[in-house]
Amino acid sequence: MIAAIVVVPIVAGLLCYLAPRRAEALVTSVAAAIAFASAAAVAVFRDAPDESVRWLVQPFTAAFHFGLGPGPGTWIALMLGLVAGCALAVTRVPRRRDFVAQMLVLLGAMMGVFLARDLLTFALFWDLQLVPVFLILVGWAPEGKSGSAWRYLVYNLSGGLALLLATAAYGMLVGTTDVLGSASAPAPAALQGAALWWVFAGLGFAFLIKTPVWPFHTWMPDTYADLPAPAAAVVSAVQSKGGLYGFIVIATVLLPGPMHAIAPLMFALGLIGLVYGACVALVLDDAKRVVAYSSLSHLGLILVAIFTFNPLALGGAIVYVVAHGLFSAGLFITLGEVELREETRFLSRLGGLGERNPKLAGALTIMVLAALGLPGLAGFAGEILILTGVYQAGYPAIAALSLVPIVLAAAYMVRVLQATMHGPEIPDLPQREDMTVLELAAFAPLVVAVLLLGIAPGAVARSANAIAASPAVATLSLRAARR
Amino acid sequence: MTQPLTIPYTGADWATVVPMFAVAVAALVVLLADLLLPRAARRGAALVLGIAGLALGGILAVPGYWTPHAAFSGGFVEGAFACVFQEIIVVAAIMSLLLATHLARDDQVPGAIALMLWSAAGAMLMAGAANLMTIFLGLELLSLALYCLCGLGRRPSSRESALKYLILSSTASAFMLFGMAFLFGATGSVTLAALLEPAASPMLFALGCGLFLIGLVFKLSLAPFHVWTPDVYEGAPLAVTAFMSVVTKAGALAVLARFAYAALPAAVSPAILLPVWIVAGISMIVGNAAALAQTDMKRLLAYSGIAQLGYIVAAFAGTTTFGLQFGIFYFGAYAFMNLGAFAVIGLLSREHDEGSHLAAFDGLGHRRPAAAAAMTLFLLALAGLPPTAGFTGKVLILASSVSAGFLWLAVLLIVGTAISAYVYLKIVRVMYARAGGAPSRPSSSPAALLPWVGICVSAVATVALGLHPIVLPGILPLVK
Repeated sequence: MIAAIVVVPIVAGLLCYLAPRRAEALVTSVAAAIAFASAAAVAVFRDAPDESVRWLVQPFTAAFHFGLGPGPGTWIALMLGLVAGCALAVTRVPRRRDFVAQMLVLLGAMMGVFLARDLLTFALFWDLQLVPVFLILVGWAPEGKSGSAWRYLVYNLSGGLALLLATAAYGMLVGTTDVLGSASAPAPAALQGAALWWVFAGLGFAFLIKTPVWPFHTWMPDTYADLPAPAAAVVSAVQSKGGLYGFIVIATVLLPGPMHAIAPLMFALGLIGLVYGACVALVLDDAKRVVAYSSLSHLGLILVAIFTFNPLALGGAIVYVVAHGLFSAGLFITLGEVELREETRFLSRLGGLGERNPKLAGALTIMVLAALGLPGLAGFAGEILILTGVYQAGYPAIAALSLVPIVLAAAYMVRVLQATMHGPEIPDLPQREDMTVLELAAFAPLVVAVLLLGIAPGAVARSANAIAASPAVATLSLRAARR
Repeated sequence: MTQPLTIPYTGADWATVVPMFAVAVAALVVLLADLLLPRAARRGAALVLGIAGLALGGILAVPGYWTPHAAFSGGFVEGAFACVFQEIIVVAAIMSLLLATHLARDDQVPGAIALMLWSAAGAMLMAGAANLMTIFLGLELLSLALYCLCGLGRRPSSRESALKYLILSSTASAFMLFGMAFLFGATGSVTLAALLEPAASPMLFALGCGLFLIGLVFKLSLAPFHVWTPDVYEGAPLAVTAFMSVVTKAGALAVLARFAYAALPAAVSPAILLPVWIVAGISMIVGNAAALAQTDMKRLLAYSGIAQLGYIVAAFAGTTTFGLQFGIFYFGAYAFMNLGAFAVIGLLSREHDEGSHLAAFDGLGHRRPAAAAAMTLFLLALAGLPPTAGFTGKVLILASSVSAGFLWLAVLLIVGTAISAYVYLKIVRVMYARAGGAPSRPSSSPAALLPWVGICVSAVATVALGLHPIVLPGILPLVK
């Protein structure tokens, strides 16, 4: 049944092409139902045993191995189902049947990334998820914006191929890639010296690009700006989490030595991204790009948290990964609704939307508050855990420095809210209807999740316990504390 | 002191070459049927007889997999290795025949099919050839038929193609023959097995190997010996281009693999073969980089084929057993994805000049969704993206390069693949771009159904081989 969570959306996506074009409303609802069902399936089968089918025997063993369990992947998969369901439910793009088909394939591929318990299977889905995003960019990006598709592809495929090479090398050295099943497994002794570093370089390069971490982020703003809102929501919420997930679940457990060695570099990159993203987000006029750069800032914070190897910070990192997924998806979806109504998303040209669209204004407000870290909402829960953990790990300066962009977040997020919803109505914009009850209902799961995670982040934070307790990480956090 | 040159043989020896005889005789039957049958039935009959002959040859070759046998004193070696290559050749030839309905003139079709059968028989001979004479025999049978086939195209450049191929390929053959003469001089024997003995003159031996390999690499069209390929591919009829892109390569690849794995003394093998691996690495980059600028699909696939052959030869680097198995696996996968792409081009051949210009793909995703979807699958496979055999094959080749200590080849493969993604996905973009696309056309005639057979077979194989790769045991030994 776990494998079905991966396979069913992909197959359903391909079957969409057989549906008549007229039935696009029906196709969209079925797709949203599949996405929500996948979230439900993740919740129901979280304790189910792993499923594995042999793939390769020679030259190393590999399997189509999927599992849920108590780890972070389960929570991210749950978040993915919710986000994809909400995004699909509010989808209104031209040629909707084809778009929905690609979104379903994307959903299945990303489920594969987070459910894979085999490094090669992980790499397969890692590369597979590029294809639907590329096709969406090709088919639905604004006129004359073909550059973003190529930029997305070149960056992410370079990462994907580096990951592939590292995976092949890992398999040859260790003899199997079926190694993600348990966090408590010791790092294999076969990996030593230069080979260890080569493998780590491949993995790390892929994760850095995907996250993205400054200076590998230049594909991101264009991609998010040119993707239709539902796709941008899913990609920013989940696909980019693959990098952080990889650092936490794969690199930390399998390659603790190099992870520890490059921690100072990662602190630097994370902090640069944290500050740089926040500063750029302050001045941009394009609402989608503001959210894109705010992601760069937030993800920098998570990166810093991961490399402290502190259990509290790791838990906070996972909470923030899920929280960022929820509110960034919410922001992209609501801003997409704004763009749909006003045919522009430039803050300087928008205004006073809240007058006629109180429901939309309410939805955007909740997401903005979650993003700027209002206590009681998901963002705050992640931030406080991370900052406490970073401080506890012995980096008070970094914790203090991280506070500045968090304050800036309040400024740029409130700016988005104010420029779109408040102020006088602008007469020459097309004034359209507010969100329907149905759309609001589709959006509700995100709001509920943001609230729940803000109030009770414990279960999500505890999902890092197994990793924090693994022998490799335990020594790391000890070493880090001593430093 | 002259000895009569006699080779002892028995009935069992003849049995090994029956598959090739079946294919070659089928070509005669095709020509005979062309004389006897009424005009209307000729084309169909030739196609059916040709396919039947190839299928018969393929079936007859199967038992050889389990009965390794060195026939004619080591001139032809039956076994798993030869069998796999022969099956790939048979399948590729059949799929090429399915495209052979659009040649310059209808009355040329039966003759062309006969030539393709002979050419395939030559390639099948090369798959099992284990002495220098049989290798050359197979190569000439393969090439002579192709010289004629290249000239049958509708385009004006077709004759240029044939002439270019004739001259350059003959030159390569001459190099090869020269090398063979040196090898014979150095060892006093023409069998590959005899090359393993210490040579009388190491200098002569190295020179012979070098010339022989230059000829082979030329036939494989690896860079920098690739310049003829795009022009020849562009001018030749589509079916012939598809045929050349797999069958010719299969023959040359089999010879290269057998020579590299079985004919070189361990002491000198790494040094002699190093240039081949370097050439493979160059091909990955040059082939993909040159494909970037192409707007004709046949030229583009020619350059892409150069790069793909580079990947396959790179798998042999270090001559590990793994490498041989994975190289052959990737070659089989390449045969399907490449021929699938050619079949889609064949499908479009009614609408445009052989359907091979990139413009024929404008908006295809909206005009003919099924064809565009199939093409997308093949292009993703060629680019090495999942969930296709191209992905799995690349993982396996990377694994073998890394474990054989050729990390630089693995890195070049990665770089080449990254470049190639732009090449292949450029076509995907043209097919699905929102703006592009001519107005919708009515679907073409029922004759266009034939390529669909190839497309469906290739699509299924491309996905299935990716999810369940076949790594053949018992490939070695290759000579005895």
